[in-house]
Amino acid sequence: MERAGSFMGGKFLSSIIPVLCGVIGVLAANLPISFMGEWVPSPLYALMPVYFWCLVRPDLMSPAWAFLIGVLHDVLSGGPPGIWAASFVATYAVIDRQRDAFAGLSGLGAVLGFATAALIACATNYVIFDLYHWQLLSLAPYAKELAVTVLFYAPIAFVLGAVHRNLVGPQRSDL
Amino acid sequence: MANGTWRIARTRGGAHLPLIIVAALAVALILIGKAQSSLFDRARAHVMDWMKPALSATREPMVDFNRWVGSIGEIFAVYQENLKLKEEIGRLRQWHNTAISLDERVKRYQLLLHAVPDPVLSSVVARVIGRASHPFLQTLILDAGKENGVKPGEAVVDARGMIGRIFLTGERTSWVILLTDLNSRIPVTIEPGNAQAIMAGDNSPMPTIATFSQGTELKAGNQVVSSGDGDILPEGLPIGTIVTDGSGYRVALFADQTATQDVEILDFKLPPEHPPATSPDDLPVTAAGLPPASPPVAVSPPAAPVTAPKTKPAPAPRTQPAAPPPGNAPGNDVPDAGNE
Repeated sequence: MERAGSFMGGKFLSSIIPVLCGVIGVLAANLPISFMGEWVPSPLYALMPVYFWCLVRPDLMSPAWAFLIGVLHDVLSGGPPGIWAASFVATYAVIDRQRDAFAGLSGLGAVLGFATAALIACATNYVIFDLYHWQLLSLAPYAKELAVTVLFYAPIAFVLGAVHRNLVGPQRSDL
Repeated sequence: MANGTWRIARTRGGAHLPLIIVAALAVALILIGKAQSSLFDRARAHVMDWMKPALSATREPMVDFNRWVGSIGEIFAVYQENLKLKEEIGRLRQWHNTAISLDERVKRYQLLLHAVPDPVLSSVVARVIGRASHPFLQTLILDAGKENGVKPGEAVVDARGMIGRIFLTGERTSWVILLTDLNSRIPVTIEPGNAQAIMAGDNSPMPTIATFSQGTELKAGNQVVSSGDGDILPEGLPIGTIVTDGSGYRVALFADQTATQDVEILDFKLPPEHPPATSPDDLPVTAAGLPPASPPVAVSPPAAPVTAPKTKPAPAPRTQPAAPPPGNAPGNDVPDAGNE
């Protein structure tokens, strides 16, 4: 399949696809449909494209995009502003510093790598939320959200991989 | 997956500076949001108005898919379900007849007592186009807003009972804070016994009964309805039933938050009660600062009724006549209808 990036207009398209996937992730997490019942939180779909392209194409998933995806997540979820944005940026910072370690993982290791990133996002969110409300909240909802996010990562990473191979492509300098 | 097979970007491209900047932006956003939440709420409402078509468009296929998935599982239980529903319909018919006769009786009592009629409730039907279920955050987004007359604070109900309250309205969208949300607290009445309580969400499926009067005993199965205290919510909206969980009491909600797709937003039009404007003529003479009424003349029986208590005379004489006793306004003898 001809990569979208081979065309002039396609280059722009391929550059926005990672961000678009992040936006779709935010929308999916806040759709009015719950396949798992209301009491299992929605997975952090938006974190998956952020993590994925932060590793493989950081030029297309910059910290600013991670921040904006987080802000959109805050807006759509109805929560206090900036909390998920800060969580995504904190996660991005850790991935950015340990990119070689994360990128070298494969198979179950890759899922564990993402689980580490999701743990950082949830922990950051929990700490900020506690400070914001100035009370120590239960960890159980975060544990559920972390578990369901990690559970959903494997199939969604497969889809993201296919999107990357067919629509985004390797680093721009290699084209 | 992001494994070694991908060609990984090795250059960070000077990402550290943007990271610091966006981290600072995120912190600033949190602080601004905390200090000026209305500013962010307005922006949020605008964004939601703008995104409403996208959310509505994605909703339809997802609802159909969800229904289809649900129907596959239900097809195996349809016979048993049918029998159960028939039995339930029979029971509900009996309750329906009882409710009609009781309603008539209440109307007769109200007529006899000249009770203030219940406030008029109008409503707007809206569809759920967004649903957030994250840790400590459970909200719905509806496709009706200020254009449809929706205002913050209004109650949102589904076919079974109350679901939550509107907390933010845009032009064409509005947000609902669910009864189970951590930030939800509403005054309720527990029947029978008319016990007053506060129902508080804690992000679990069943909100807690946070406070109630000392010595009140609750039983599993007691009905919980909105109390109408504070004139925010209508009185008597069905909410749920009391259940015990060992450590305390919780409320099993009637409304199904997971499946609700269409809801009703109740516009509670309780007119504010203003006392009638007072004039010196309406006040007792002492309160109006008038001289006491002249004593009745002994030679002319029967004596005029004394209307004012004997107090010391007012310091300065007034030219106005003594005030008559405050007349009973037509509605003064009407008992309180419960709209506190």
